[in-house]
Amino acid sequence: MKNLINIGIPSKGRLKNDVLKIFQKNKLKLSSERGERDLFGYIKKLPNIKVVYLHAREIIERLGDGSLDLGFSGLDLLKESEVNIQKKINVVKKYNFGKATLVIAIPDPWIDVQTIADLEEIAFEFKDKKNKMLRVATKYPNLTGEFLFSKGVTQFKLVNSLGATETYPFTGSSEIITDITSSGETLKANNLRVLKDGEILKSQACMMVSKLSTKKTELKRILNLLSK
Amino acid sequence: MKLKNLSEKILRSVKSKGFKYIDLPSVIETNHIVQRSGENFRKFIFTFIDQNGSELCLRPDLTIASCLRYLENNLKGKEKIFYSGQAYRKSQNKKDSIIRDQIGFEIIGSKNEKNDDKEIINTALKSLANLQYSTGTLKIGNVEIFNLLISKLDIPKRWKLRLSRHFWREKYFNDLLKRLETNSDVDPTIVEVDKKRYLKMLKGNQQSVVAGRSIQEILKRFDNKIKDPRRASKGKNVSKIIKEFLKINCPINKAAEKLNSFFKKNKINLIVDPKYFPTSDNKISKLNVEFSASFGRQLEYYTGMVFKIDIKKNSKSINVINGGRYDKLISDLGSKKEVPAVGAALSLNY
Repeated sequence: MKNLINIGIPSKGRLKNDVLKIFQKNKLKLSSERGERDLFGYIKKLPNIKVVYLHAREIIERLGDGSLDLGFSGLDLLKESEVNIQKKINVVKKYNFGKATLVIAIPDPWIDVQTIADLEEIAFEFKDKKNKMLRVATKYPNLTGEFLFSKGVTQFKLVNSLGATETYPFTGSSEIITDITSSGETLKANNLRVLKDGEILKSQACMMVSKLSTKKTELKRILNLLSK
Repeated sequence: MKLKNLSEKILRSVKSKGFKYIDLPSVIETNHIVQRSGENFRKFIFTFIDQNGSELCLRPDLTIASCLRYLENNLKGKEKIFYSGQAYRKSQNKKDSIIRDQIGFEIIGSKNEKNDDKEIINTALKSLANLQYSTGTLKIGNVEIFNLLISKLDIPKRWKLRLSRHFWREKYFNDLLKRLETNSDVDPTIVEVDKKRYLKMLKGNQQSVVAGRSIQEILKRFDNKIKDPRRASKGKNVSKIIKEFLKINCPINKAAEKLNSFFKKNKINLIVDPKYFPTSDNKISKLNVEFSASFGRQLEYYTGMVFKIDIKKNSKSINVINGGRYDKLISDLGSKKEVPAVGAALSLNY
């Protein structure tokens, strides 16, 4: 079974549909034995390939431990993962879909705050005058922490969010947020505004391989088949 | 065994200067560190959660553990203490050890600052006599001079605070200077748009709070910001003065003279007394004594005199002692009053 290749595909959403199109385009027909809800799939005429439908974050983790050989996920999720995982993954192709930007957003009525330099001052005001830390809600604590620190914002506390991060500043759970956005409309609709220089990372969908699998000959074959 | 013998000799030297030995806990509450140094300090500390759900960490630094002891035991008045042990810190550099063996000594709660600074340096020199080396440097700086200079410059208050806050982060500080030169933090088009909003908000309820800040607070800061009187040419000149100041580096007996001529040249109303520095000898045993205006940037908590001793051993330069004054550390850790403190740590890993 040494040459069995496991491929991870996002299990839902637009990302899944766009990834499936890559297979179609390369004339690789994906099937599942037990119908649409089956989380396993196979490719006709390629018996050594097993397809697993997983959460996009999970795909990164499994590439990191080598239980997936190849996977499709977002660059944002790769960059957010722990260093030990990132070290074990190679990005082989970047696609023109799944595009989004991780940004810092603040409550729109904070009209005195336009840049990160302003935010840095506000963070100190929170600490010195209110004796509190400025709280930043995010699904991306690693990228957010690194970015803020590199821009001189040192006085803050991260609040981990699992979803609906846009509500946090208005429910007393945080003061500002970082989140992934493509058009900015959701942020705007929730009374939030992106800082002028608040772009943390531009992300897109990527094809990635586990460095633990690079010697597998079957992997090279499937990479060729997917890159036509 | 060698390390143990050396450590014992140094401890004896420090004790002979009248310092009292104390034991420090190896584990401290993470919150103390994160509250003081910010979330990113987590990258350097080893944290874990205990059975009660409290987040603890291995002490990344003996000074913080010692200041916490002073605070938590509600100590008052002067204490001359020393301690030895390991500090645990992650490093970006793979070659660095995560365990650092240190000996530290401090004078806490004494108002005789200038004398205490001298005493800490003298104790450091006495400890150093136990090490073998050919030559070395004692570098002295003072963060206070930098802050005084900033306070005299013709820039808005928020810029003064910003520059003082980030003196210790060299790369970001240089970015700040660039921004000061171009005045790029106020965008005139955005200010114009928001001014309409400002006028509208002025008529609304100013006591209402948006994400932890009152409308009144937001409008006040907006108002201050658009009144920023600075022109780009002014920013450039201020940046030039700061850069020139940071380049001052000379033998310690020339420090006052150099600084005073710099202040005079730039029409800054400051004078430094030669007695301001803890020593005026350019050579102390095998060490050259230097003043550096930019020195003191490696640790955020220094507030006044800072020093370090590098020695040469087998033609390699090794940093063995770092020290300085940190009068705000105990209040940052939670004390209502500022408590003067000065100290140094000697590294045994070299």
